[in-house]
Amino acid sequence: MAQVTPFTYRQGKSILHLLDVRCKFFIICLLSMSLLPAHFLACFFYGFILFFFFKNAGLNILSTLNHIKYFILLLFFIFIARALTMKGDIIFSFYDLSITVQGLNEGFLVSFKFFLVMLTGVIFSSTTKPSSVKSAVQWFLKPVPFVPEKRVAIMISLALSFMPVILNQAREISEAQKARCADLQKNPVKKIIRLVLPLLKKTFLSADYLVLAMESRCYSDDRTDPEFIPSGKEFYFLAASVLLSLGFAWL
Amino acid sequence: MKKIIDINNISHTFDDGYMGIKNISLSIFQGEFIILAGKNGSGKTTFLRHLNGLLLPDTGHLIVNGQDVKKHLVQTRRTIGMVFQDADTQIVGDTVFDEVAFGLENLKIKRSQINEKVTQVLEDLNLFHLKDRNPHSLSGGEKRKLTIAGILVMDPQVIVFDEPFSNLDYPGTIQVLTTIIDLNRSGHTIIIATHDVETVIYDATRIIIMEQGLIKEDGAPADIIRLLEFYGVKEPSTSKFGLGIQPWRK
Repeated sequence: MAQVTPFTYRQGKSILHLLDVRCKFFIICLLSMSLLPAHFLACFFYGFILFFFFKNAGLNILSTLNHIKYFILLLFFIFIARALTMKGDIIFSFYDLSITVQGLNEGFLVSFKFFLVMLTGVIFSSTTKPSSVKSAVQWFLKPVPFVPEKRVAIMISLALSFMPVILNQAREISEAQKARCADLQKNPVKKIIRLVLPLLKKTFLSADYLVLAMESRCYSDDRTDPEFIPSGKEFYFLAASVLLSLGFAWL
Repeated sequence: MKKIIDINNISHTFDDGYMGIKNISLSIFQGEFIILAGKNGSGKTTFLRHLNGLLLPDTGHLIVNGQDVKKHLVQTRRTIGMVFQDADTQIVGDTVFDEVAFGLENLKIKRSQINEKVTQVLEDLNLFHLKDRNPHSLSGGEKRKLTIAGILVMDPQVIVFDEPFSNLDYPGTIQVLTTIIDLNRSGHTIIIATHDVETVIYDATRIIIMEQGLIKEDGAPADIIRLLEFYGVKEPSTSKFGLGIQPWRK
């Protein structure tokens, strides 16, 4: 069985589930970029909006935070690094290291922005089918010259659908090795080599079978175009996101 | 009965010099239920891959509905669908619906027709309630049924199964077996390569036994059943105990 992560698509009927994926793509790009120069007030306002859509999409905030705890730890390190390296009014000093007011502010702001971008990604991937992501990538790449958009789309689809299979194979190999006391090997490099070589072999073999299966179903680059089903509320969402990004600049 | 496949003296040698199949000639007719049996390495999979045009013969001719496979690959693959041994490695779509739609998208069928046909096939195979699920999260039997749906949606006349019951539990095997028998009853020609002859022999109309790339036996199940173990294939228990060929499922 595939494991559920915060980025796994969850079935639902919320407005975000029904929104056209191209619109969602545009909105997350626009808002994520608008967040870069934004100040505290704008970030808190955006956080409040995200909280509303988190609830609306039926996602569990505590469970999500638990799943991204290592990312939050990384944000904490970013916060510390900023607090210690930014010049300004010193609050506390120890040898050459000084924590400044400006450093704390800047560290908190940068970490908070990263956190908000991460939550935006979680909402997007939890409410968007991987196949819709593939279709949107194909649609956005269509006008780009010399890029075989249909081939790129099928590669994305294969990568997304094969990830659980590869992870499952890695787990099986690891357990088979543990059953033969592989834990006694303390050298991490040797451990990784022992895992990676059979995993690569299995993955290439699976890829061979996949090629045969695709060929047997008449695989071709010239395929039926994907279908987009707009919910009818895309215009309002686009207008709101443009206003919001302008508001971020003003706040 | 209408002849669908006509195989005339085909052989195939791999790059390393190993001869996968040797001088095979036979005909396959509409509505037949054929078991292809033999030990590991007897050439079953190599033979099946020729039927779908995944491998092409070095010598001889393979004719499907009067057309040479070498010259009409797409038409052959529409006529003869193939379900592989490992369901996980043949699933392309990231939802059940997309997986079934894959073949039709390759044929550039209109989206409205794709949606209609996929829905119909999913309903026929009782998979419609799973249409938005990730295929890799399904049970073994459901996954195998999904791979059958992916083939069935392309309206094949012949469906070829390579070890369809491997790695399945009892309910999964029953699910898949029932689907296969229903397909045969609805007019599809079925060819199954399996070690597990006992499961399907009651419904089969013909058994072909292969050994070292050659066809050694070809005939009705009742005539061949006693010869199975001579070629390294387990004879059904009912036959061993003198009860003849009995249905495996109730």
